[in-house]
Amino acid sequence: MNTTMKRMTSTALALAMMSGSLSAAELRFTIWTGNEAHLKLLNGFAESFKAKHPDVTVKYETIPPGDYTQKLTFQLAGGNPPDAGWLMEDAAPTFAAAGVLENLGPALQKAQGYDFADFSKPALGLWTAGDKVYGVPFSTSPFVIFYNKDLLDKAGLEDPNALAAKGQWTMVKFQEVAKTLKDATGKWGFEFKDGQGYDTRIMHALMPPIRAAGGDVWANKQCGFDKPEAVAAVKQLHDMVFKDKSIAPPGEQGDYFSGGSAMTINQISRASLMPKAGFKWGIAPLPTGAGGESPVIGQAGIVVFAAGKQKELAAEFVAHMTTKENVAGAAQFFPPARKSVLDSDAFIKSNNLIPPEQMKVVGDAISKGKVLPAHEKSPQILAAMKPRVDALWRANADVDASLKAVCAAIQPLL
Amino acid sequence: MADALPMRDTAHRKDAPWLTLKMREAMEAWLFISPTLAGFLIFFVGPLIAVVWYSLTEWNLLTQQATFVGLDNYNDALFRNPDFWHVIRNSVVFASGLVPLNMALALALALALSRPFRGVVIFRTVFFAPVVTSAVAWAIVWKFLLQGEAGFINQILALIGIDGPNWLREPNWAMVAVIVTRVIKMVGLNMILYIAALQAIPRDYEAAARLEGASGWQIFSWIIWPLLGPTTLVIMVITTIGSFKVFDHIYQMTGGGPENGTLVLAFYIYQQGFQFFDVGYASALAMIMFVVVMVLTLVQLALRRRDT
Repeated sequence: MNTTMKRMTSTALALAMMSGSLSAAELRFTIWTGNEAHLKLLNGFAESFKAKHPDVTVKYETIPPGDYTQKLTFQLAGGNPPDAGWLMEDAAPTFAAAGVLENLGPALQKAQGYDFADFSKPALGLWTAGDKVYGVPFSTSPFVIFYNKDLLDKAGLEDPNALAAKGQWTMVKFQEVAKTLKDATGKWGFEFKDGQGYDTRIMHALMPPIRAAGGDVWANKQCGFDKPEAVAAVKQLHDMVFKDKSIAPPGEQGDYFSGGSAMTINQISRASLMPKAGFKWGIAPLPTGAGGESPVIGQAGIVVFAAGKQKELAAEFVAHMTTKENVAGAAQFFPPARKSVLDSDAFIKSNNLIPPEQMKVVGDAISKGKVLPAHEKSPQILAAMKPRVDALWRANADVDASLKAVCAAIQPLL
Repeated sequence: MADALPMRDTAHRKDAPWLTLKMREAMEAWLFISPTLAGFLIFFVGPLIAVVWYSLTEWNLLTQQATFVGLDNYNDALFRNPDFWHVIRNSVVFASGLVPLNMALALALALALSRPFRGVVIFRTVFFAPVVTSAVAWAIVWKFLLQGEAGFINQILALIGIDGPNWLREPNWAMVAVIVTRVIKMVGLNMILYIAALQAIPRDYEAAARLEGASGWQIFSWIIWPLLGPTTLVIMVITTIGSFKVFDHIYQMTGGGPENGTLVLAFYIYQQGFQFFDVGYASALAMIMFVVVMVLTLVQLALRRRDT
């Protein structure tokens, strides 16, 4: 090969390499999990996306859940937006109203065999406005009761699932069971979600009993905390904390997962903590009340940021992540919003920690449940609620007055 | 050296004959301080001017939309928002509790630990260690100790027949708890400053006073305390500023609760700016905090000047 040929060949090679690097793209995707199994699943989606886009890599960036929304906001405000990411339900209306989320509708329509109609309509409530789709729910996880079977047996109590099958798993029964558990075992009968029901999880503490009683925290821009159903539900909780002393009170840690409390409310993702718990356990539906069965669902969605530089590619990746096949693959960790997956046997058998008959509880709750309330001004509403709810959690509190104060504080924001 | 300077001067004069010696020296001085000056302008003066500008706007962090509103944010904070005065009251209560308690304890510890004795280094280390401990770890441990009936502190109190309160769930007790735990965490720093000041006082003064028959209290009140004056002023200023800026401790221990009982100014600013995304309003509050701290510092300096 003469010198001219060598030069031409090396120039051609260099150009080829350059063009390769130009077409290669990296999508930055924010998440709040660091769990190895979750990351393996997500990396699997990135790998399978290569079938259509061999030059595209996806870089997942984990931000701790407590700081997630805030750090995401800083990235957007600082001109360094990720291309796509997870978004919590309480942030969805705020982000959508601020215009920082890309409409995914066209990309989902374009995706072959996507079947958008397969998503349950109530599950899409937070993520759609008219024909615009601001996010696709990837986890539609109902709240369930986790119970300690050993402590129930010790107290001579029936399994909550057996009670539910007979239609006897009501809020009245739940109060009775919690008190018996406390009296018989010395452990707390019940603990709010992650022991944070008086602080960061006030909505998770109050919402399920209020909905069971047939009320709601707000609806149609009207505060519901001071309505008779909500007042009755909160009074019952208050009695359980201060009269029965069966719920771990403010300032005390119950810690269900280490056996300090006989029951708690949580989502199935927490089942991953159970193998280390060292006791027999199970999950049951939420107790019913005057409002009948009213499962409450926590949700998270996948969104594409309007300020991102690769919006179309990112939207295509979101469509890929949420195909029927991939949603089914993720269902063991993240309960699906796709009806076809929810109704499938594969979903009922997907979680190796939870037996199929109890996974059915999860499936039923998703199909019948309502998502936790969210609002464009969620942070302000929660901040306005917090001091009034603090006043509620005193032994001598006037529950009616406290709930009226909650409504007075949040009504202007609704 | 005497020979070298004129030579250098001549060389410079050849390069830039229009520069006088004074101008050249001034230029060199500016060049030497320029790295620090640049940092000061970029990282302090710049943001300060930016905050003043932000405070005159209604700026949403998320939407990035800013509208000039003049003094509306200040007007709203000072005259229309009742929460603001509640927050100021909390900050004043926090500072009024923390500053004297911290200074008294730091002085007592310094007096006890300024003289050499067996194990003095261990004691100093024990009291200083919390200063360098992670604020998060510190708060988590104290939250655990300050639980209701099952809390360690209340169980100890129960042993001596005292029914302790639910420390972090009752507004007044929560304020006491955050003040005391903050004092324990930070007192070591002031203790070190006092120890250094005490060790700088010549021993002869005390020896002479003893020869004259002065008691321990007289030596302290007539000799040591006045000589500690400049250090006391510095400690008072930095502790007061620190108490108005406290954020991490409140964030971790109470989140401003219960019933907004520990919602102090710095936490309130954080809430407005980074939870509600209202950067304009948060900036106005930050400017008010800046003025409050500045006025307090100037008052302390003026009082000190009057005393001396």
